[in-house]
Amino acid sequence: MLRVEIKERAQWKALAQELGFHFHTIDGEPYWKESAYYQFTLEQVERDIEAPTEELHEMCMALVDKVCHSNALMQRLSIPEFMWDAIFDSWRAGQPHLYGRMDFAYSGDGPAKLLELNYDTPTSLYEAGIFQWVWLEQAIEQGLIPRHADQFNSIQEKLLGALAHIGQRLSDNTLHFSCIKDNVEERATVHYLQDIAVQAGLEAPFIHTEDIGVQPGCDYFVDLSEAPIKALFKLYPWEELAQEEFGKLIPELSTHWFEPPWKAVLSNKGILPLLWEEYPDHPNLLPAYFEKPDEKALTPGWVRKPFFSREGSNVQLKTNDGDFEDVAGPYVDSPWIRQAYHPMPRFGQFHALVGSWVVGDRACGMGIREDVGRITKDSSCFVPHAII
Amino acid sequence: MNQHDNHLPSRKRSARLSLALMGAGAFTLTGCGQPEEVTDVRFDSPRSYQSVEECVEANVYTQSACEESYEASIKEVPRFDSLEACEAEHGEGACVAPTEEQAQAATGGGGGGGGWFMPALMGYMVGNMMSRTSRGATSQGLYQEPVYRNRQNQGNWNAATNQASQRVNQRQQTMRTSAMQNRQATQRSGFGSRSSARGGWGS
Repeated sequence: MLRVEIKERAQWKALAQELGFHFHTIDGEPYWKESAYYQFTLEQVERDIEAPTEELHEMCMALVDKVCHSNALMQRLSIPEFMWDAIFDSWRAGQPHLYGRMDFAYSGDGPAKLLELNYDTPTSLYEAGIFQWVWLEQAIEQGLIPRHADQFNSIQEKLLGALAHIGQRLSDNTLHFSCIKDNVEERATVHYLQDIAVQAGLEAPFIHTEDIGVQPGCDYFVDLSEAPIKALFKLYPWEELAQEEFGKLIPELSTHWFEPPWKAVLSNKGILPLLWEEYPDHPNLLPAYFEKPDEKALTPGWVRKPFFSREGSNVQLKTNDGDFEDVAGPYVDSPWIRQAYHPMPRFGQFHALVGSWVVGDRACGMGIREDVGRITKDSSCFVPHAII
Repeated sequence: MNQHDNHLPSRKRSARLSLALMGAGAFTLTGCGQPEEVTDVRFDSPRSYQSVEECVEANVYTQSACEESYEASIKEVPRFDSLEACEAEHGEGACVAPTEEQAQAATGGGGGGGGWFMPALMGYMVGNMMSRTSRGATSQGLYQEPVYRNRQNQGNWNAATNQASQRVNQRQQTMRTSAMQNRQATQRSGFGSRSSARGGWGS
């Protein structure tokens, strides 16, 4: 694994604009960065990322099954009791999920270590799925990288297959898509999924999360024209949905949710200590445990993470040498876990994080984020990768 | 059977991707070294199996995908009125009478029965075949399920055909009754009120 500096494509910003990638620059700071790429060997990708991703995914699925059959484990994960049946039912019925992303600390040498799962509302999907792919094709075409260069990326193709599979099992072949108002990045991510859904032959109408309605007497949540929403993709976390005014209606109404309710089990950092308990000393896992109520300050070599947080918020870490780093945030009211600190590889001034995508049950691609800090956050740049 | 080989080295990325909605107009980019024609784009190399059992065993496709493609391939097998006519085309010893099951599958279960011959089925293809339409790439009905594994501990979820469970029905009946008594306008803003660290929920 190398970080290779490279010429940018001359017209990439115009292309980004044309292809709906309006968040390549966020608040004046670059988000998409193609002045460098991360280089992997095929062996590194297949042996160290792809295979462990599928193995970990299967371990997670086994753990979901276990949690679904245990009220004690549901409780340990702070999942509200009124959701337990919905979670169990969606799992037992085999309701398919769409996607997820595992974040790894991986240096090119030794096993990749799972830092966390993003199995409910993973983003950086558009960047990884299409824009990175276009970059590779054009970089080859323009002679910027060797002709035999490749990329671990069939993300969009697998999403197409998954959405076609799901579409066939939905009445009216219709899947509504939703995200909150006033967020350009999330709207674009959802737009991208709608795009793929349409290519897969689905009807894919959009509704903002805030506009989802409840009509007395209707078995489903309703859209703005008061038509039933029979199936709904949400880019909004299960733990928040459940806490809100309409949350209690989720198990009562017949609307099918994507990700399905059973994803609540995996969108929770409490899954990390459970994985470690279930598969201790697994080469791709880091030691992790549930923080005790009276537990003292962070000791060197450990990281503290809330059950529920997004984009690195409220994460605190102390390196083996005792250097402390943290990211501020609002997620302070859920329980915490502690996970052994494992340094991310450093390339020059950048720490690189490997995001490994899972669609359905397949590992199908990677996206690399880099940051000068040790904690990856929403401002961390997306840098393309190539297999050479 | 090798007619689907594309003579390209296997690679870790898709050969061709499109955008149908995003950006100005439809966008399609073909990877370098790919043929230019825009019909029948293939992604996954289709795999061949001798039987539905072998297909399911391989744990690549779902059982229904295995069954559906088996049935589809049976329907496409050429039929001959006599063993001689079949062997004339496919070679001596290469033809058989269909089993009862095969005959039924071939005729869509709508009677007809046997009385004909076909080349022995050497295996059938399951793969992720895509075709192009004016709306972009569309999966062909049969070959689109390589993404999910079969899980023994789960059902075969299908919201289009499955009836809601009894329990849900009862609950909804109660809700309907109470709703009739207290008819109200649609309520909204019951979701999306929580604020995140940066005004978004992706991760």
